[in-house]
Amino acid sequence: MIRFVLRRILTAIPIGLIVTLGVFALVFAMPGDPLRELAGDKPIPAAVLAAKRAQFHLDDPFIVQYLLSMKDILTGNFGTTFAGADIRDQLALRIPVTLKLTLLANAFQWTLGLFFGIYAGFKRNGLIDKSLLLATLVLLAVPGLVAYFAAQYVFGVELKWFPVSGVLEGFPKSYLLPALVIGVLGFAGLARLMRTSIVETVNADFVKTARAKGLGEQRVLWRHILPNALLPIVTFVGIDLAGMFGGAIITESIFNLPGLGQFMFQAIKLKEGGVVVLLSTLAFISFILINLLVDLLYGVLDPRVRNV
Amino acid sequence: MALGLSLVLASCGDGKSSGSGSGNGVKSEIIAIAADPLEYINPLNENGSPGIQVAMAMFAPLVTTDPETGKTVNVLADSVTPDKSSQTWTIKLKAGNTFQNGQPLTAKDYVDSWNMTAQGSNAWKNNGFFSKVEGYDALNPETPDGATPKPTAVKTLSGLKQIDDLTFSVKLKVPFSQFGLTLQYLGLAPLPEEVRKDPDAYKRKPIGNGPFKLDGTWNAGEDIKLVRWDGYKGPNPPAADAITYRFIPNADTAYNEFLAGNVDFVDVPSTKVKSFKTDAPDQWVTSVSSGANYLVVPAWDARFKNPKLRHAFSMAIDRKAFADLVGLAEPAKGLIAPDMAGYRDDACEYCEFDAAKAKQLLQESGGFSGPLNINYNTTSATGQIFAEAIGNMLRQNLGLEVKYTGKQGSEITELADTRKLDGLRFSGWGHDYPSIEDYLTPMFKSNGDANFSGYDNPALDSVLAKGDAEPDSDKAIAIYQQAEDIALEDMPLIPLYTKSNAYLHSAKIEPRVSKYTGVSALYSTFK
Repeated sequence: MIRFVLRRILTAIPIGLIVTLGVFALVFAMPGDPLRELAGDKPIPAAVLAAKRAQFHLDDPFIVQYLLSMKDILTGNFGTTFAGADIRDQLALRIPVTLKLTLLANAFQWTLGLFFGIYAGFKRNGLIDKSLLLATLVLLAVPGLVAYFAAQYVFGVELKWFPVSGVLEGFPKSYLLPALVIGVLGFAGLARLMRTSIVETVNADFVKTARAKGLGEQRVLWRHILPNALLPIVTFVGIDLAGMFGGAIITESIFNLPGLGQFMFQAIKLKEGGVVVLLSTLAFISFILINLLVDLLYGVLDPRVRNV
Repeated sequence: MALGLSLVLASCGDGKSSGSGSGNGVKSEIIAIAADPLEYINPLNENGSPGIQVAMAMFAPLVTTDPETGKTVNVLADSVTPDKSSQTWTIKLKAGNTFQNGQPLTAKDYVDSWNMTAQGSNAWKNNGFFSKVEGYDALNPETPDGATPKPTAVKTLSGLKQIDDLTFSVKLKVPFSQFGLTLQYLGLAPLPEEVRKDPDAYKRKPIGNGPFKLDGTWNAGEDIKLVRWDGYKGPNPPAADAITYRFIPNADTAYNEFLAGNVDFVDVPSTKVKSFKTDAPDQWVTSVSSGANYLVVPAWDARFKNPKLRHAFSMAIDRKAFADLVGLAEPAKGLIAPDMAGYRDDACEYCEFDAAKAKQLLQESGGFSGPLNINYNTTSATGQIFAEAIGNMLRQNLGLEVKYTGKQGSEITELADTRKLDGLRFSGWGHDYPSIEDYLTPMFKSNGDANFSGYDNPALDSVLAKGDAEPDSDKAIAIYQQAEDIALEDMPLIPLYTKSNAYLHSAKIEPRVSKYTGVSALYSTFK
């Protein structure tokens, strides 16, 4: 078990290097001068430009800039953004915002997804199953951007059930609407997967055997069907949770939640390679950790793939 | 954006007596700013619209534009006097003004604050303002590529002299008759001695000298809450008792916050230009058309060299139709904004839409070879639409082959600056101080700060220098108009449109609207 965890972490290091180098190269390859982007149309005096360039290492070659950024990240010396914000302060403010949003959104998504998926799986071709299929098609076809603005307008501006944007009203009130929209948009895929998995498992030989042994229906359901049907779901949830960070870029912008997504958006806009790489590293580490957890969870659910 | 900045810079002063007061007697308003939250408040290191907008509430300028008459009036200055040649300017302050920490406001505060800003190694954003002052180069030596600028041994501008407690003088490198007007820029506000010693320590607790001060503490990412400061003795303070600036980076979200009744004032984003009047009936105001927008013809491409060709392009554009497409816009009739003293609506001979004349001019010029490329900004929602509209007019009316290239705005600027950009592009300009000179010098002087087209005409340069040396403002305007005529004859920039801005306001406030200074939420009256 400990060896498995160590091995996973060790293999993550070269992958992390490749990922951060790739992300940094992408930001570096973006056309346009970052300091110009910051200044808008107004001319900047040469002396000011030179001082800023030196401060952010913008005159150094690509690989030197990358190594300096990585050194700053690894030594915890994050510095400031182009606009002068202390990055450590920003992280301390923004990480909780993104965590609250992501966890609440996932809570909605899992609750809805598992409930409807399991129900539809057992009552195949019933009303719920059919409406679920329809809902899936509709929800998957709605672009997130449209749904977020529509929800903001209807529930925030018109009905006033939720705050329109911002975090002034705190947790959970300020986070409810964006999390609900993410959850509703995302639950359909999860529910479909759950349903199919249940359907497959119900017809598996070991379930027939269990029934033939004369086990009660409840016991068959809880001890035999569900643990097996949940296996593919765990994988899905692991990937989905890590992918939430990408979605946060749009959601946080529209609902004005000052989280990591908004920070990332700003950094990409200004071509701040250092900040983009820092945030990518954070995302990468959380992705590795979540997937490690998922793999360990497999072992709990299915002894055949237990990593001893 | 330059255009946003100018509107903000131009609005100060007046204020009129306040309205009858709101329900609970406290007149407060929440102003939405569609930008990322500010990181610090230091007017000398701030040239963006959000920062200057907040600085306007907390700091007072030396002089300002009277919103009723458009004339320059004193705020903190008692007098601003040029010498005969307009090269040395003596500024006398009114007695009895203080900073919000109680320190008296003296000439030394201006001299020391300006010297700090002029020091290149400090990298403060308003450094460039002082490049006109004698001694600037000593504080901003050439730095080799990649090197960090070092603080210079010289710490003071030789042209900046304190005469007594309330008087100081500024000697410019060359005569400049418009210098008095530039003093209304909020980015020249002084810092008190306490702050000058360690500006970083005060970046979130600024000490101003204007009508408002911070209410309590202000932390990163938070709204900026201001309350009236009773020590402000300047003329015509705003009517509000308290102002909150709320930062909402997504402009459409800010607009929705207004519709939900959570903010009192918001800019109408470009996506809502067609719908704001029905979204918020009786709760909107528009500014007069200001700023100016152009199609830039590259001077570095020999194919565009013949002025007749540029006039042909200009006359092939149906400005009325284009302005309708832009929304809240008026066809341009010259190179400067219509709200400037010295604007002539008959300045441009070649700005009328006349396809036949355009074709004839194109023929006389010898035609245009190869496809015409039009560059547009991909980060602007409207960039491609505008480019295609112009492209279609040139194609249909002149029979040119047209193609389009979308790039990020900063990349287009960079290519243009290195003279590698192929074809036409769009640009806009808004003044920092209300003088037609602030259109002509930056864009048409051979070494102008915003010489988009790489234009260079010694005749125009010498006319500008003559205007700069003319102390009488009416005579100076007449000289500058000659410069505009030269620029229109050469037409490195093809005038397109001038634009109004729209704003929404809640029922309890009435923003100040002036044809000289635009729309100001800070100077709202209360119902």
